[in-house]
Formats: sequence, structure tokens, C-alpha cells
Amino acid sequence: MRTRHALVIQEDKIILKILERLANSRSYSCKAITSLNDLDIEDQNTNFDVIISDILFDGIAPLEFVSQVQEVILHKNLVIVSNMGQEKIKKDTMALKGIAGFFEIPFDLDEVEQLIAGY
Amino acid sequence: MEFVDIIIPVLKIGLTILGVLWLSTFISMGYRKNRIRKLKVIEETFADVVSNYLYPNPASPLELLDIQRILRNIGIRESKKGNVQYLINLMIRTQRSILGNNHTKLKTLYSQIPPYRASISKLKKFGWYSKALGIREIYEMNQQQYIQEIIPLRNHKNLYVRREAQIALIVFLGWDSLRFIPYLKKGLTLWQQIKIVEKLYDLYKEPQVGKLRPLYSTKKIFAKQLIMRIIRKYSLESEVDYILAHLHDTNYEVREAAIYCLDSFKVIKKEKVEVIKSLFQKIPSASQQGQLLNYISNNSAVDVEFYMSLLRSSSDDIKLRSAEILWNSGYKEQVQEFYLEQYSNPEVYAG
Repeated sequence: MRTRHALVIQEDKIILKILERLANSRSYSCKAITSLNDLDIEDQNTNFDVIISDILFDGIAPLEFVSQVQEVILHKNLVIVSNMGQEKIKKDTMALKGIAGFFEIPFDLDEVEQLIAGY
Repeated sequence: MEFVDIIIPVLKIGLTILGVLWLSTFISMGYRKNRIRKLKVIEETFADVVSNYLYPNPASPLELLDIQRILRNIGIRESKKGNVQYLINLMIRTQRSILGNNHTKLKTLYSQIPPYRASISKLKKFGWYSKALGIREIYEMNQQQYIQEIIPLRNHKNLYVRREAQIALIVFLGWDSLRFIPYLKKGLTLWQQIKIVEKLYDLYKEPQVGKLRPLYSTKKIFAKQLIMRIIRKYSLESEVDYILAHLHDTNYEVREAAIYCLDSFKVIKKEKVEVIKSLFQKIPSASQQGQLLNYISNNSAVDVEFYMSLLRSSSDDIKLRSAEILWNSGYKEQVQEFYLEQYSNPEVYAG
């Protein structure tokens, strides 16, 4: 069986670590980073099966961040887990192409697990 | 004395002060750097512990004793209050971010790793801020074992302490805690009522009307308001009569809450509308009558007789509003007739 790759981008280290363990428990090989700056050259060659990312980062608008992730990193599915759960942001983000799910914090880890299990 | 003799000691003193300032700045910078590094270690270790607890590695599952040892090794000891407080903040932040099964799992973990009675010891402190913070931490981390210490604080002289204590009772006891409400010695502000209702709704979604009804006999104004807000939040249609009974209460604020809560019941039975209409004239405030009239006109069919009776006997605002409702519902002739009648009546005309 081929190894599945996951990338978690979260500023909150505790949520980051929990999501990393969650992905590992679902037999993903997982890379966990706190910002896009932590990506290295090798990551550009990886086609991630799933990216679980926040959208709230310093110096960049949420929707812009999503487009940047979609442009820069090769991936198949993008799931958002964010503190920024206002209806408008949620609607705008889900309206973008290629968003597999949006979870606003507080969220149920089981739902994320269920979603990524299928990829 | 020469100038040099004066300037040299002054310079020496100045340089010494400068030296002391620099030294203290460096020490403080060093301390801060160390402290930040230390807090980072605590955060990372806690992240490791929590993630391994929620999603254990089957090869080496984390035992409770291991967790306690790991936390002790990074400086979570009773003597280091700053570290313990930082850990408590992390614990609360994490628990707030997660729902479902894992939330319950975290609760179990928190009940087993001791924050060394840090929260409960705050209750013994003199300052109100520490007390309120301690209560908040206790209910955020679900340390139900301390409820006996919190109960007496529900009537504390400080507003913030008693607010947090009341919220803690709601969190721990749910609907059962409502029985305290009529016996509170100090009032509940609107803000606190909303907080209580929201907390109850967040944690106990299933309404328990049986626990609410014994409160109905209360005479306290804030308790009446709170009961009505609970009825509104849970949309308890069977309890609408309680709200209706307070539409003509002697207290302005109780009436205001009753009208506000009634407004959220969009579908209401015909006989209830009749009750509201019969109470209409008993409401002493014209502005509140106006609000109720809006509710009646929005939620029931046009009752010509009722509106015509209002035209004849109410304040000017109500008259105008009734005339408007009748006019817009196709009863122009009746309205015209009524106003024409007034011109033929010299007393009204003169008045």
C-alpha cells in the first residue's frame, strides 16, 4: 500500500500536534508546520493527499492564504480548521474551488478523522 | 573647590546609576528569554502529552503516571505557581477548542493530572479578582469536586465573584441549579441572565420543564425575567402561559421581558392571541401596548372588532397604529367613518 501524505498548518501548537497525531493514527505520513515559511524544498515534490490548514495568519488575508496554499503546494484535498468561523468567511471559503471541508474551532476531531479517513 | 572636584564625583555617581540600570536590563532580558523558552517547553510538552493521550501510539501508550512524571520534569510543581498557572491556561484553551468524544476524554485527563489545587487555593485569597478567576478555572476544567466551596459564593458581595459562582453552579448542576435562583439575595443583571441562559443551553440542550415549574411562584423580579428568557431560549410552547401572565405585571421591566420573549413565538394558538387581546388594556405603558399591538398584528388574522375598539379607547399612538393596520388590511371605510365621526362631535373636535 502506498504511503499517504498529510500536511498540517496551524499556528496553535497544541491543535497542530493533536491533528498530527490524528493523521498518524490514520496511517498518514504527516508533516506539521506552524507557517508556510517552514516548508522546505522537498515538500514541493510531495503531492499531499490532504492538507489541514488554518486560514488566520499574520500579514495575509484568509482567502488569499487559501489561494496561496492552493497555488504553492501540490495536494489533492484541502480541509480548513480555523478559529475564524464567521458565517461570511466560511461561505466565501467554501465557495472557492477545491475545499473539502471547513471546521470552525471548537470542532469535533472525530468529524475530521472521518473525513480524512476516506482520502 | 575646583570645578573638577565637583564634576568627578557627580560623573561617578551618574556612571554607577547607568551601570546598575544596564545590569538590571541585561538580567531582566536574560530572565525573560529564559522564561519564554521555559514556557515554550511547557507548551510543547503539553501538546505532546495531550495529542498522545487522545491518539495513543499503540507501540508505547502513555500511562497516567508517565504524564504526571513528564509534567513534573518540566517544572509543573506546587512551588512554581507561574508554571502551574500557564499550564492551567493551556488546559482551558485546549478544552475550549475541542468538542465531542475527545472533549470528554480531556475532562477525564484533567481530573487526573493535578494542577496542585491552584484554582481552589485562589478561592481563599482576599482579592475578588483571584476568587472569580479561581471559580472560572474550576468550572472550565470541570473540577466538580470543589462545588461545595463554590455554593456559598453565589451570594458574595462582589458582583464578579457571585457571577462566576452562579455560572459554575449552572455548569455543574444544570437544570437542578435553577432552584437556587429565587433565593439569590442579590439581583441578576440582564447580562448575567443572558449568560446563565446561554450556558444552560450550551451544556444542557434537553429542557426539563419539571425543574422549571417549581420556580413559577417566585416574586423576585430577576427570577421572573430569567424564567421567561429560559422559556424563550428553549421555545417551550407549553410554558407560554407563564409569559402571558406577566404581560400586565406591575413592574415595567418584567413586562418588557415578557413582551420580548413572547415576540420569539411566531406561531401561537388562536386562544392565546385572545388572551393577549383581553390583557391589552391592562398594560399601563402606551409604548409597551404599541409593541404588543405589533406582535398581535404580525401573528394573527385581522380582528376588526378589536382594532375598532382600540380606535375608540386608546392613546393617540395606538389609535394611529390600529387605523394603519385596518387601512392596510382593506378596511378603509371603517377608518374613514371613524375619523369623520369625530368632526361631527364638537367635544372631540374642540379637545
